[in-house]
Amino acid sequence: MYFRPTTIDEAIGALASQGGRILAGGTDFFATQGDRPVLGPVLDISAIDALKGIRVEADQIRIGACATWSEVIAADLPPAFDALKAAAAEVGGWQIQNLGTIAGNLCNASPAADGVPPLLALDAAIELAGPAGTRRLPLDQFILGPRRTALAPGEMVVAILVPRRFEDARSHFMKLGGRRYLVISIVMVAAQVALDLQGRVAGARVAVGSCSAVACRLPALERALLGVAAGAGLAGLVRTEHLAPLRPIDDVRATALYRLEAAQTLIGRALDACLSEPAHA
Amino acid sequence: MTIRNFTRREFLRDTAATGGAAAIAGSGGKAWAVPAAADPPVPTQHRVTIRLNGTERALQLDPRTSLLDALREQLYLTGTKKGCDMGACGACTVLLDGKRVNACLVLAARLDGREVKTIEGLADGDQLHPLQAAFIEHDGFQCGYCTPGQIMSAAGLLNEGRPLDEHSIREWMSGNICRCGAYPNIVSAIRQASGRA
Repeated sequence: MYFRPTTIDEAIGALASQGGRILAGGTDFFATQGDRPVLGPVLDISAIDALKGIRVEADQIRIGACATWSEVIAADLPPAFDALKAAAAEVGGWQIQNLGTIAGNLCNASPAADGVPPLLALDAAIELAGPAGTRRLPLDQFILGPRRTALAPGEMVVAILVPRRFEDARSHFMKLGGRRYLVISIVMVAAQVALDLQGRVAGARVAVGSCSAVACRLPALERALLGVAAGAGLAGLVRTEHLAPLRPIDDVRATALYRLEAAQTLIGRALDACLSEPAHA
Repeated sequence: MTIRNFTRREFLRDTAATGGAAAIAGSGGKAWAVPAAADPPVPTQHRVTIRLNGTERALQLDPRTSLLDALREQLYLTGTKKGCDMGACGACTVLLDGKRVNACLVLAARLDGREVKTIEGLADGDQLHPLQAAFIEHDGFQCGYCTPGQIMSAAGLLNEGRPLDEHSIREWMSGNICRCGAYPNIVSAIRQASGRA
C-alpha cells in the first residue's frame, strides 16, 4: 500500500510486483487527488539517495529525479540555466519550491508546466529506469501530450540530463499569468542566445509553453536569428510565421489569439533580455 | 454525574471518540481520516518519530496521513490551519528541518527522524517571538485564519538570510494568501521583525 524504498532497484521491483503511483515532492500528487482518498499503492521515492541532488559531470549536468525547484535555484550552474532558475522561482511560492521536483513537473505533463520550455531550450534528455534496464529519451520525445508521457509500465524517471554544450549562452524566462504570483501560465517563453566575438548570434534556442499540447521549440525562428548582428536587438526579427508550431487554444485563461500575440511579444522581450543581462547575476 | 469544564475542542474530540460528533470533527480531514464501513480496509499503520517543537513525538498512523492531518487530528496541534488542503494557500505552512513547506503536501510517514516546527513552538514560553509581537503591533491580520501560516512562513524567510525590502518580502511571502487583504500590515510586521529577529 505504501512503500518507501531506498534504492532504485527496490523501487523498480515494487513497480513490477504491485505497481503504484510514484510520489516524489507531492505538490501535484495531492493537488490532483483533491478530497478523494488515496486507494491504490503509493511508491514514495523520497528516500532514494541516488535520485537526489544536482551534479555537474564531465559532459552533462545531472538533475536527480528528487531535486527540488529550490535546489535548482540555489545550485551553482552556468548562465544557460538562468531561464530554468527563473522558471523555478515562478512555480508556486517558496513552500512549493521546497517540495516540488523538476522531474515531477515533467511527469505531470501539463501543457502549462513551467519547467518544460527552459529544459527544451537546454536540449535536456530524460533518463528512465525500468525492468529492462535504463534508457534515455530526449525531452521532446518524453512528453507526448497533455498528462501523457513515454513512461512504460514499470518505468520511473531517474534524472534529467543536460548536455554541457551551451554553457556560455545567456538565457531568460518570461511568464504571463492572470496575476503576479501563484498562477498557471497563459504563455511562457524560454530563450537562450550565444553571441560570437563580433556580437553576432552564434546560437539561439527558443521554446514556448502553454501555446500547444506540449511546449515546443521554434526552429524557424532559431534559424532566422543565426548570424544576425545583435547590437540593435532581436525582438523585431520575431515574425508571425515563426510561431507556426504553436497551436494555442481558447480556454478559461485566455483566447488563442491573445496567446499568440502575447507569445510573440514575450519571445522578443526574452531574446533581448538575453543580450542585456550580465553573464551571472 | 461528574461536572467538568470542557473546552470546545475537548468537547469535539471526546464526542468524536464516541461517534456523536464524528461528522463535525471529521469534516476537516481528508476523506480517508474517518473511513466508513464500506471503505477498503485501512492499510498497515506506520510508526514514525518526529522531533516536534523540540520534543520527540512517536506516531502511529495510516501512511496516507498528511503532516497537516497528523498535527491537527492526532496531536491536537490545531494552530496549523487547513485552508485549501492542496498546496495553494499556505495556511498550513510549517518548518521542516528549518525549511518552509505546506504541511498538507507532506506525508507524515516519510518524516521519521525529521524536525518539525509549528506555530505552537515559536514563542519562548510566555515571550512571544518577535514576529508574533510584530504581527500584533502592526495588525497583520483580520480574521486570523491565515496568520499562523503567515508567521511560520515569515519565520522561515528570516532564517533564509535574504536581503529584505518591501518588494522582496512580497515576493518571498507569495506562497501565503490572505483573503482579508492584510498584506500591507503583514509586510510592515515582517520588516520590523527582520530588524530585530
